[in-house]
Amino acid sequence: MATESSEGEEEGKLTGGSPVLSVDEDLREMGNKAAWSVSSCKSGNGVSSLRDDNLETYWQSDGAQPHLVNVQFQKKVKLQLVVLYVDYKLDESYTPSKVSIRAGDGFHNLKEIRSVELVKPTGWVYISLSGNDPRETFVNTFMLQIAVLSNHLNGRDTHVRQIKVYGPRPNPIPHQRFQFTSTELNTYAFVR
Amino acid sequence: MKKTKTKPQISLLSLSLSLSLSESKMKEEAMEAILRNTVQNSLRHFMYKNAIFFSEFLCAEFPSEANLQLLASCYLQDNRAQCAYHILKGTQMAQSRYLFALSCFQMDLLNEAEAALCPANEPIAEVPNGGAGHYLLGLVYRYTDRRTNAVHHFKQALSLDPLLWTAYEELCILGAAEEAAAVFGEGAAICIQKQYLHHTFASHNSHVSEEDRNLTSSRNLVSAEEVSPRQLKQLSGNNVREVPGSCQGMTTSVRGAGQPPNGVYHLSLYNTPSPIATQFSAAAPPPLCRNLQPNGSNTSTAAADSSPRSTINSTIQAPRRKFVDEGKLRKISGRLFSDSGPRRSTRLAAEAGANAGTNAASVAGNGTNNSSKYLGSSKLSSAAFRSVTVRKVPNWANENFDEGMRNEVFDDCRSNIVSGAGALPSVDNKALDQEGATMPCSGVLLNNSKVLTGTAEILSLLRLFGEGYRLSCMYRCQDALEVYSKLPHKHYNTGWVLSQHLKEGMKLSYLARELISTDRLAPQSWCAIGNCYSLQKDHETALKNFQRAVQLDSKFAYAHTLCAHEYVALEEFENGIRSYQSALRIDSRHYNAWYGLGMVYLRQEKFEFAEHHFRTACRINPSSSIIMSYLGTALHALKRNSEALEMMERAILADRKNPLPMYQKAKILESLESFDEALEVLEELKEYAPRESSVYALMGMIYKRLNMNDKAMLHFGLALDLKPSATDVATIKAAMEKLHLPDELAEDS
Repeated sequence: MATESSEGEEEGKLTGGSPVLSVDEDLREMGNKAAWSVSSCKSGNGVSSLRDDNLETYWQSDGAQPHLVNVQFQKKVKLQLVVLYVDYKLDESYTPSKVSIRAGDGFHNLKEIRSVELVKPTGWVYISLSGNDPRETFVNTFMLQIAVLSNHLNGRDTHVRQIKVYGPRPNPIPHQRFQFTSTELNTYAFVR
Repeated sequence: MKKTKTKPQISLLSLSLSLSLSESKMKEEAMEAILRNTVQNSLRHFMYKNAIFFSEFLCAEFPSEANLQLLASCYLQDNRAQCAYHILKGTQMAQSRYLFALSCFQMDLLNEAEAALCPANEPIAEVPNGGAGHYLLGLVYRYTDRRTNAVHHFKQALSLDPLLWTAYEELCILGAAEEAAAVFGEGAAICIQKQYLHHTFASHNSHVSEEDRNLTSSRNLVSAEEVSPRQLKQLSGNNVREVPGSCQGMTTSVRGAGQPPNGVYHLSLYNTPSPIATQFSAAAPPPLCRNLQPNGSNTSTAAADSSPRSTINSTIQAPRRKFVDEGKLRKISGRLFSDSGPRRSTRLAAEAGANAGTNAASVAGNGTNNSSKYLGSSKLSSAAFRSVTVRKVPNWANENFDEGMRNEVFDDCRSNIVSGAGALPSVDNKALDQEGATMPCSGVLLNNSKVLTGTAEILSLLRLFGEGYRLSCMYRCQDALEVYSKLPHKHYNTGWVLSQHLKEGMKLSYLARELISTDRLAPQSWCAIGNCYSLQKDHETALKNFQRAVQLDSKFAYAHTLCAHEYVALEEFENGIRSYQSALRIDSRHYNAWYGLGMVYLRQEKFEFAEHHFRTACRINPSSSIIMSYLGTALHALKRNSEALEMMERAILADRKNPLPMYQKAKILESLESFDEALEVLEELKEYAPRESSVYALMGMIYKRLNMNDKAMLHFGLALDLKPSATDVATIKAAMEKLHLPDELAEDS
């Protein structure tokens, strides 16, 4: 068990997609602390459309595949979940099909940690970064790269409407190894 | 012969001239009087535009500093302090200086306010407006961080007018209040009585001498015997911008010009809770009797007809109005004439809203919430002092109390007069005698003994309130509670007191909604909503709400602190530090801000800073076991473990119900490798927090280090059962894995 690494490419097909974004309480969105960049884009549909919380706007790539979205943090962070909003009904041949998620310290040592295939998705698609091992719930990394390897109907360019990246909430109490679960301790944890 | 003939002619001429002159003079005076009346009427009806128009008219026609004061006070009422500022700049009269200082204060020009109140080149000059002036000056000093001066002036204010509750509150906040019993004791009683009894004396004085002019009441009561009660009503009514029907022309007869301290003192007595009202007593009118005489004859007959009861009633109306600021008028009338129930709940909501979120600990266990409430409310009182608009009701706590008190007094008056009428079902009658016309407030039928009992009652209640507040400011909350429980039931029920006990976080969102619908302009409402969001971990929205609260009242320290808490939750530490510091600038005794800063530094691993800040917070609020336990944590991080343990012990003793210090103590012991002791503490902790995953997790860790693997596994399993967070699940499971590899080299977790 200790020997198996989680680097193995896990093929998974994801169909559908939920119209509403609902994430666990103990996760929080980490994208605000990162620098986002894309491999190419059409003018007017740039990287900001990926982060504007507006599902009407989208990023449109403009070049050769694979199309890349890079998320770079200033320090190593624990990441657990990537969520994309894509819609086959609206974007058809622009809808991503094969998506690969890579992590590493920088462009030079990215390694794939997750690979999924989307089948006519319409909404939020959740891609978990956890391995099977409970010890591998998180990916501790400087950088994440979301690569669109191919699109539906063999489209060249892709549309992605929104991307969110989640990690665990830090312990609100500094210098605590474990987080408090009971009301008793949580009540007394803070002064307001 | 000619000469003699011309003489009478000349004299006739001169006589007629003088007559016409005096006529025109009187016409002018009448005109001025009418204008002043109009202004005051408009103000009373909140028609500010009208009031301003007429006061400008008045100033144009009859330029005088007194009229300028009136104009300025109109602007102040309309919340346009800048206009008032420009008008009154450079004026010298005491009342003008007071109004000017007030405008400066509202515009945050504290230096100018100070200069106006006590000019640098006249060190002996009297502070205008007696108690109110000292109070304002005290506030200026307070906000410019000159604590000793501030304290001095608040004390002066109190000595001049013992009913200046807000001054006492400020003293409590600054930590310099004497025991309430002393402040609101014998001396105060005598003081108040003197004021009221003076009126009786004045009533016998029919001449308007200079001294008498100094006494508002005397102005009311000048020739009270000659002047009928109706006249009197008009006079006192004039004092409060209430101009009764038939005597429109009879204004202004009741103000004194020069404002030597004595007279102003009485003014301030009446107008203490709402110094804005003093503006109307500005202006130097012609001496009283001149106006009186012509009309006296007219009205005396009219008055004679009216029943004594009605006149007295209306006279009572007048003093009640005096006390009432525009904004409070609505509240008071609402309170008196409707069921006080819903209002109280609104106020309760207000108080509770300002109270912190669900994590509100019990009152006994954690004085923090209460005290922070007080801090909030005290900010409010000073804010209320400054804000004049109808809608703005920042003065929650104070106002409730003030209303309560004032209504007490007046209702008693009323109850005396309208004996047994039961006019005010919502207010219990105090134990004043149900005799006929006793009026402690305006002096015609003053009854000395009633004054005494009235004063005594007020003061005894004030003592209780004052002591309670002082104690809570010193965070001796248990004591404060005991004091409050001595209050008579109805006062206890005022929102101001009950807020301490309201800790139902569940109702928070409901209350917050109600608050916002009640008063969108009160920063507390926004704080309440912000707390709701914060509870749901939506920190961005919570932050927006707290920022709105700050916008509404930038001197509300607690709002700044709440903003800062949210910044920290969002990990924007720079902004958080900035906000905490703003809070501390406003109130250096706001221990929540000290605590907040300590937490930030703890997180940033700047342990010495953290320790310093926690220690300061502790010193301000020595009864908070949470702060003590964090101080202990900081000490532990600084490797001063014995001190840390000591601090944890103190924290545990301070509040037996608080499990946090116990947990921290166990952690420290574990790090010191006193495993058995640590386990002991944790076993005890299990009693207090039986479903706390981290307790079992820590025990598991300890057993692991003791190589008691079975027990370790057991506890890890228990910990996992209690559903810890994902991170902790990972940590625990990793630890469990390592338990199964005793012979391999286990990496340190």
